[in-house]
Amino acid sequence: MEILSVENLTKRYEKFTLKDVSFSLEKGYIMGFIGRNGAGKTTTLKSMMRLVHPEGGKVTVFGMDFAEHELECKQKIGFMLGGVDFYPKKKLRTIVEVTHRFYSEWDDAEYQRLMQRFELDPEKKVDELSAGMRVKFSLALALSHHAQLLILDEPTSGLDPVSRDELLLLFQDLIEDGEHSILFSTHIISDLEKCADFITYIKDGEILTRADKDSFIDSYRLVSGTTNLLKDDLKKKIIGLREHKFGFEGMIQKSDVAKATGLEIAPADLENIMIHIERE
Amino acid sequence: MKNLLYKEFKLAVHPTTYIFLALCAMMLIPSYPGYAEFMYVCLSIFFVFLAGRENKDVFYTVLLPVRKRDVVKARCLMIAIIELVQIGLSVPFAILSNRISPDHGNMAGIDLNVAFFGFVFGFLSVFNIVFFPIFYRTAQKVGLALAFGGTAILLYYALVEMLVWIPSPISTFLDTNSTDMMVKHLPILLAGILIWIFTWILTYRRSATNFEKVDI
Repeated sequence: MEILSVENLTKRYEKFTLKDVSFSLEKGYIMGFIGRNGAGKTTTLKSMMRLVHPEGGKVTVFGMDFAEHELECKQKIGFMLGGVDFYPKKKLRTIVEVTHRFYSEWDDAEYQRLMQRFELDPEKKVDELSAGMRVKFSLALALSHHAQLLILDEPTSGLDPVSRDELLLLFQDLIEDGEHSILFSTHIISDLEKCADFITYIKDGEILTRADKDSFIDSYRLVSGTTNLLKDDLKKKIIGLREHKFGFEGMIQKSDVAKATGLEIAPADLENIMIHIERE
Repeated sequence: MKNLLYKEFKLAVHPTTYIFLALCAMMLIPSYPGYAEFMYVCLSIFFVFLAGRENKDVFYTVLLPVRKRDVVKARCLMIAIIELVQIGLSVPFAILSNRISPDHGNMAGIDLNVAFFGFVFGFLSVFNIVFFPIFYRTAQKVGLALAFGGTAILLYYALVEMLVWIPSPISTFLDTNSTDMMVKHLPILLAGILIWIFTWILTYRRSATNFEKVDI
């Protein structure tokens, strides 16, 4: 069942345009939204949530038009930019005391359970929490009102590798029940390799690819060879070509492998794919 | 709306707002401009918005399942309550001040009479209608809103004090704490209250319209 659908989302700024962004997410999956800094990830997520005003496009959440049913949709969505960074001098207890009032399905028992599971002390102030704990507090808030769709912007940025891993395992735990879905943006590619089912790739405000992670990775190959092997027709096919004094290296589509005779061919990983695409 | 108002008082209100309520005792300062206390009120309103910006209040609030217009309405209601409480607390101190020195009045401006409180409602109305819509054009530039709001109330202050300082039939009945003038003072109070209510409606509408257009 489709839990989120974004169609032709467009937002124009003076120096940047989000062009016809479209993608969708099924129930029970994790989608990684990737792109380099400034590619339009946050603008897309903010446009989806109508924090900024898109010029065009439609966002459907749980079968409802978000623009028409914003309040109902928000009841079922947990949205966060990084971790909690509002009201840093307030205790978690105070923030929860206020926040829970706005959600019809707030589950206090679930909230207590999550606070214990994440080892969060409600008497602590927000700015006493580490970056990882802030993300966990955001998740605790979202899951306590039974948000089924989590939209997370760079949740792992600024976290140490252990905290990142912990969080990614948590994401996987969450979707296991088949009821939750997660869309999270990141530029930390290793996060996606660990837990994303689907990849949506954005570059300069345009969606480059929407695919399941494995076939996306499998659709590219890394190639390298000496300069004399770099023919013109091959050159056109190479993505992110870099020539150096010993030869060249780059990436090609799997379908172009036949043209790469004599070259060293190796499987690509997400990080290499991103680096080569962005080098173009 | 009840929940948003709860949020305003639980999270958004700045401690100076409560501390400045104690400035109602400024009414007791002999021969002191009565409007000074209400300038502090405007300052405490500015602090609420400034702290809100630093605490990312707007971002927190608009992500809740609430309408953007209601976010503005709750803030307007919260500030309106504070203004009313401040005026309400000032009234007994003004009465006490007049009792302490019934013959001398206020040498530094209008006497603390019923008409004065009518002008205070006007004073706050001017600040509200300038400050709020300017802030909600960006939901960020709180300093700009204060610059314009502050200038507007200073001009208003100069204007209403001129009515007292320039000798005229108006100044005669305005600048007295005699209860005999109550008949002339009461309509000014009533007009002030009506203007305050009317400008709050206008302030809310303009601010909400501006806020709905803001990209956060």
